[in-house]
Amino acid sequence: MKHLQWIMLSTFAVLYGAMAQEPRTQPGDRGPLDPPPYRMRAAQLAGTRGSLTTGTEFNPAISAILDFTYAHSTKDVDDPPGFELGGHHHGHGHGHDHGHGLGEGFQLREVELTFTGTVDPYFDALVMLGFTDHDVEIEEAYILTRMLPAGLRLKLGKFFSDVGYINKQHMHDWLFADAPWMREHMFGDHGLNEIGLQLSWLAPTDTYLRLGAEILQGESEGVANYIGPGRHQIVTILPDGDNAPQRNRWRASNGLAEEDGPRLFTGFAKWAPDMVGSSHAFQLGAFGGYSRAFQLDETHSSGRLETWDGDAWFAGADLVYKYDGQGAMGHRNFTLQAEYMYRQLDLDYRSQQFTDFSTLAVTDFNKQRWKQDGLYVQSVYGFAPRWNAGLRLDVLGLTNKGFEGRGTPEDFGTSYRYTGQLSYAPTEFSRIRLQAGYTELAEDDHNGHDHDHETWTVALQFNVSLGVHGAHAF
Amino acid sequence: MKAMLMIGLMAWLAGATHAEARMRVVATVSNMGMLAREVGGNAVRVNVLSPPNRDAHYLEARPSMMARLRRADLVVSVGAELEVGWLPAAIQGANNRRVQPGQPGYFEAARKVELLRDDKPADRALGDVHPQGNPHLYLDPERMAQVALALATRMGELDADNADMFRRNAEAFAAQVAERMPAWRKRVRGAPGALAYHSDMDYLLNTLGVPVLGHIEPLPGIPPTAAHLRALVKKHAGGRGVIWSVNFHPAQAGEFMARELGWPAHRLPSQIAIAGDAQAYFNMIEAWVATLESSVADTK
Repeated sequence: MKHLQWIMLSTFAVLYGAMAQEPRTQPGDRGPLDPPPYRMRAAQLAGTRGSLTTGTEFNPAISAILDFTYAHSTKDVDDPPGFELGGHHHGHGHGHDHGHGLGEGFQLREVELTFTGTVDPYFDALVMLGFTDHDVEIEEAYILTRMLPAGLRLKLGKFFSDVGYINKQHMHDWLFADAPWMREHMFGDHGLNEIGLQLSWLAPTDTYLRLGAEILQGESEGVANYIGPGRHQIVTILPDGDNAPQRNRWRASNGLAEEDGPRLFTGFAKWAPDMVGSSHAFQLGAFGGYSRAFQLDETHSSGRLETWDGDAWFAGADLVYKYDGQGAMGHRNFTLQAEYMYRQLDLDYRSQQFTDFSTLAVTDFNKQRWKQDGLYVQSVYGFAPRWNAGLRLDVLGLTNKGFEGRGTPEDFGTSYRYTGQLSYAPTEFSRIRLQAGYTELAEDDHNGHDHDHETWTVALQFNVSLGVHGAHAF
Repeated sequence: MKAMLMIGLMAWLAGATHAEARMRVVATVSNMGMLAREVGGNAVRVNVLSPPNRDAHYLEARPSMMARLRRADLVVSVGAELEVGWLPAAIQGANNRRVQPGQPGYFEAARKVELLRDDKPADRALGDVHPQGNPHLYLDPERMAQVALALATRMGELDADNADMFRRNAEAFAAQVAERMPAWRKRVRGAPGALAYHSDMDYLLNTLGVPVLGHIEPLPGIPPTAAHLRALVKKHAGGRGVIWSVNFHPAQAGEFMARELGWPAHRLPSQIAIAGDAQAYFNMIEAWVATLESSVADTK
C-alpha cells in the first residue's frame, strides 16, 4: 500500500496530460515567459462559442438554501441498539451535536451556501458551505474534469461518495425531512462524506452503465472512523501525606495503530436501461468499500480506556424508479427508491488501565466481529399539482450481531421506523413539509438501564432555495 | 491495490471505444431534431431527448439522456435556459468532452437569433422568467431558417467533408420557409389575435403579424389564478380572438376562457413527432395558422 500514492499521482499525471493535449482554441505564438492563458481563453470561449445553459449570466451560480424545522418526539429514545458503536459513537446525551437529524423544538438545521461554475475549459467546480448556528463546515468542495477522454471523469476534493443512491444527495434533495437510518447509522451522521478522488467511466452504449472507484481519506464514523495513536491522559487530585490535595497526571499511549490515509477505498456501478424519451426511468446500483482502519475509543473517569481497532468493509445495492406523470408541478410523478447495505467490522477490543503514572496495561482483550445491515424503502406520489405524499420504511439490524472472541454471537435485534410525509411546494424554490414517524427500537437488555424504545415524532420543515441552483442529476 | 486494478480496467475499456462514420447528433427537442436531420442529411444520426408531448421546461436529467450524450458529437439545444433544469446535469453526467458548453459540439439555437424579450425585470417573483429572453423560438419558421444556416456552419466545422452539403440543405430549408411565409401571413391578415396559455406562442404570432392578446398564465410558469382569469374575461369581453394552448398545457383554464368569451379554443402540439421532417414541421405551423384563418373569416 505504500506505493499507492505514487501510482495515484502518476495515473493522475497521465490523465491530466491526456486532457491538456486537447485545447480547442490554440493560443497564438507565445514566449516561454508569457503568463498562462487559461483565464483569457475561458472568456474568449464564452464570447465566441456561446456556451451556456449552466447558470449563464451568473458565474459562478450562487444559491443559499435555508432549512428550518420544528420537531417533537413523544419520548426520548437512544440510538438503535447495536449502532451506538459504529454510528454515533459517543452519542451520549441528547440534543443534536451537528448532525442533520431532527432536533426537539425549533431548529435552523442549516443554511447551505453553494457556488458552482465552470472554472475554465478543463474544470467545473463546486463549493458548498453549511452554516449552522455554531459553526461552518465545508460540506463539499471539489473540482470535476470536463475534458478527459474516453468517457472518464475525475472528481477531486471533498465530496459525498457516489456509493448507493441517497448518499450523495443533500438535505434539500431528500424526499423526507430526515435521512434514512441506513445512511445515518451505517455511514454516519453526514453520510459518506470524504476527502479524496473519484474516477468514473461511462460506457459508450445506449444503455447507461457507469463504473467508478474512489480513493478516500477515511474518516466517516460508520465505516472508517479513525483516531490514530495518541495520548490517553487523566488527572487525579488526591490527598497527600498531609491531607493536602496533590495533583497527579497519568499519561500513556492509547495503543491505537497508525494508518496513514488514504484508508478508504470504494467502488460502484450504476446501470439503467435505455428509456430515452419515456416517462419511466429506472436505475440499479451496486457498491462496496473497504477501510484499512476502523478505530473507536471510550474513556472512563476511572482512567480505564477501551479501544477498538481493526478494519471494516461494506457492500450494498440500490434501486430507483421514477415515473414522470406529465402533470403540472409534479402532479402524478411517482418515485420508488430502496437501498440495502451490509457492513462488517473486524476489531481488536482492549480494555486498559493504568498501573502507574505512565503505563497502561491491557486488562481485557478479545477479537470482535460485528455484522450489521440496514435498508429503507420509500415512495412518493404527486397526488395534486404542487402536492406530494410519501411513505418510508426504515429497517436497521436485520443482521445485528457482535461476536466476541470465539463466543456465540450476541444479537442486538432489529429496529423499525415508519414515516409518512406530506409536502406542498408553491414553486420549485420553496417547500413546506409535514412529517410523522413512529420508531420501534429493538429491546435493549444489554445496557441494563431501562430506556424507552418506542416514540412518535412529528416534524414540520420549511425549505427555500434562494438564487441560481444547479440542475439536479438523477 | 484493488482500486488501482479497477482504474486500469476502466481505462482499458475506455480505449476500446470506436467512432462511427456518421456524426452523432443529440437534439433536446424534436423540432431541433428535425432541423438537425434536414441540415445533416445522411451524414448525421439524430437522437431526441425530450418527448414531443412534454414541456421541455420541466424535464429532469435521466441516465438514458447521459448515455445518449456520452457518444454524441454534437448537441443541438434551444437554449436561453429552456433546458436549464436538466441539460447541464445530463451533460455533466455524460463524461463527454466534445459536447461541453464552449466546445464546437455544443450548439444553442438561442445564441444565433434575436430573442423576443418582454421588458419585465428578471425577478423570480415574476415567475419562471428567462433573463436571456423568450426561449421558444422554435415556433418561428424564419428564425428556424436562420438557426439552420448557423447549424450548417457548425456541422461543417465538425465534418469539413460535408460542409457544402450542410450549407445546401440549410439553404433549401430556408427557401421552403421563405416560400410559405407570405401565404401564411396573407391568410391571417386581419386576425383579431390570440390569447395564449404560455408565452411560447409569441414567436409565431409575432412573425405572422397577429396580436398577442394576453396569456392565461398570470406569470410564466405560474398556473392560472381565478383573479387573473376574471381580469382577462373583463378585458376581452365582447372582443374577438382565439384561445391557444399547447397540448401539454392543462386544458381547463382555456376551456373556461372559451366559455366565458365565446371564443374558439385550440389545443395543438408545439413539437413535431420524434422522427418528423420539415414537412411535419410545416404541417404543424399550418395547423396553428388555420385556427387564426378561421377567426379572420369570423370577423368578416
